[in-house]
Amino acid sequence: MPAAIETNGLTKQWGDLRAVDELDLVVPPGECYAFLGRNGSGKSTTARMLLDFIRPTAGTATVLGGLGSDPAIRARVGYLPGDLNLPRRMSGHEAFEYFGRFRNLADTTVRDSLIERFGLDPSRPVNELSTGNRRKVGLILAFMGSPELLILDEPTSGLDPVLQEEFRDLLAERKAGGATIWLTSHVMAEVARVADRIGMIDDGKLIREMTFEDLRHQATTEIILGFDRAVSPDEFAGVASVTGVEIDGDDVRLSIRGPVAEILTRAGELGAVRIETEQHDLDAIFIDLLGGAES
Amino acid sequence: MSAGFAVYRRWLRDRRLSTFSWTVGLIIMIVATAAFYPAFGSSAEAFVGGGSSAMNAVLGLGSGIDPGAPLGYLWIGLYANVLPWTLMALGVAVGSASIAGDEDTGTLEYLLAGPVTRTQVVISRFAAAITVLLVVSVLSGVSMAACLPAFQLADATTITLPDGTTSIAPGATVADIVNGTISSFAVALGLTGLAFLIGAVSGRKSWAIGGASAIGIGGYVLYTLSSMTSSLDALTWFSPWRWYVDDVMLINGLTPEVLIPFGTATVSLLVGWWVFLHRDLQTS
Repeated sequence: MPAAIETNGLTKQWGDLRAVDELDLVVPPGECYAFLGRNGSGKSTTARMLLDFIRPTAGTATVLGGLGSDPAIRARVGYLPGDLNLPRRMSGHEAFEYFGRFRNLADTTVRDSLIERFGLDPSRPVNELSTGNRRKVGLILAFMGSPELLILDEPTSGLDPVLQEEFRDLLAERKAGGATIWLTSHVMAEVARVADRIGMIDDGKLIREMTFEDLRHQATTEIILGFDRAVSPDEFAGVASVTGVEIDGDDVRLSIRGPVAEILTRAGELGAVRIETEQHDLDAIFIDLLGGAES
Repeated sequence: MSAGFAVYRRWLRDRRLSTFSWTVGLIIMIVATAAFYPAFGSSAEAFVGGGSSAMNAVLGLGSGIDPGAPLGYLWIGLYANVLPWTLMALGVAVGSASIAGDEDTGTLEYLLAGPVTRTQVVISRFAAAITVLLVVSVLSGVSMAACLPAFQLADATTITLPDGTTSIAPGATVADIVNGTISSFAVALGLTGLAFLIGAVSGRKSWAIGGASAIGIGGYVLYTLSSMTSSLDALTWFSPWRWYVDDVMLINGLTPEVLIPFGTATVSLLVGWWVFLHRDLQTS
């Protein structure tokens, strides 16, 4: 079975700007792949090349084993753009009818259930809807054909936390149903629950690819030990799992990765009177990784 | 229903109101012009031979055109300027909107995310733009034809010539109006094609409107100036006014030159299609 998405040396250059730089990507069928990066890093440009809106300067991109320009391929893809633009005065209902017609969607069961699930009033013109409601229309349009591949550009942007949760549930359901999902985001926590794998893009280059499990293992935990006297950093030299020591008055801040048993034993020996733990969230890791890429 | 026809139908549907407004406005103008004819007939002599060559060119007053006669009146009052200009403005509006307008607003990109080819979009949008122009043109012709008997425009008229002799000028017929309408539609069609072409190539509506308008207005100015100096004559080859005003098809019948804009529109469609097929979509 061909990869759901495959790019080889995919490059897009406008003048001096290399928006996407020799991107090699393989997303197997059934995977949820989160493409993460800051604003302007090349995520949307990649999405637009996958769907043939723009043509690569170099390299190739295939979607579901074919080209994004092939309407037969695009019929199997659900797409949510970063900013959904529909004809003025077109209502949500008209949009579902119009775009559904291209995919021969006679059965409206999925569509109707999505409308109910997102609590959308489809009778109103899309250009009169709030950002969040326009997003709902876009999501319903992307999901209503039960496509094999979902390309979602910043899917939760503009959705309130309740709807974000609803969206993540929907994504998990579609993933369980065998759909491949490729989504972009600049908020790592947003994709934490659903993504199998992440790729991080910065300045058009894919700087890191890892599974979410790998990422979680990279998460650094900090333990703060309080003492009633000053303690030297050397006291923790050679203690297993300690990757860094900082002194803050009578407190010692330990960066750790791995089992904590030896640290707790050492803290007891030194007479610690207080213990706190702090875990870097995923977004902090995201910032760390991109910071590392810059340096 | 094919995807192309769905795109065609939707685009027309989105322009129902504007097409209706253009049609109503044009019909009001036609009826008002026709209704003025009975009062105009007696003062028509003031127009004959009194203007400069440039003014005559502006009014479309060529040799043998008598503004006191029904067809002469309709020519200078409507068909020489007002009707073609109005249809050209409509043509530029729909031609520039067909690809570039939707690309500017980002709606074209979402359409092309579905199982629709760029070729289907180009053909259906071009056809839709021409349909709007055709519908408005036909309705203008029908309303004009309906006005003929109501405002004495179908009646033969006795004309007094400058040398004091008289002649009988025939009334306007439906066939004359058909000729006038086809030639007005044709002159607007060429500019519609050019607006479409510039929009399909650039993806920018403002460029399409600006470029096509510049060609329309520039061609008119050059044609008018060329009536005063023959040195500009060579520059008017691209001006649609050159054949439109010179041939006066409302009065003299259709000439082969009426096919020029059809050729222009066809070439514009083919070139626009080819470039649009091979270029990046603009971001909104």
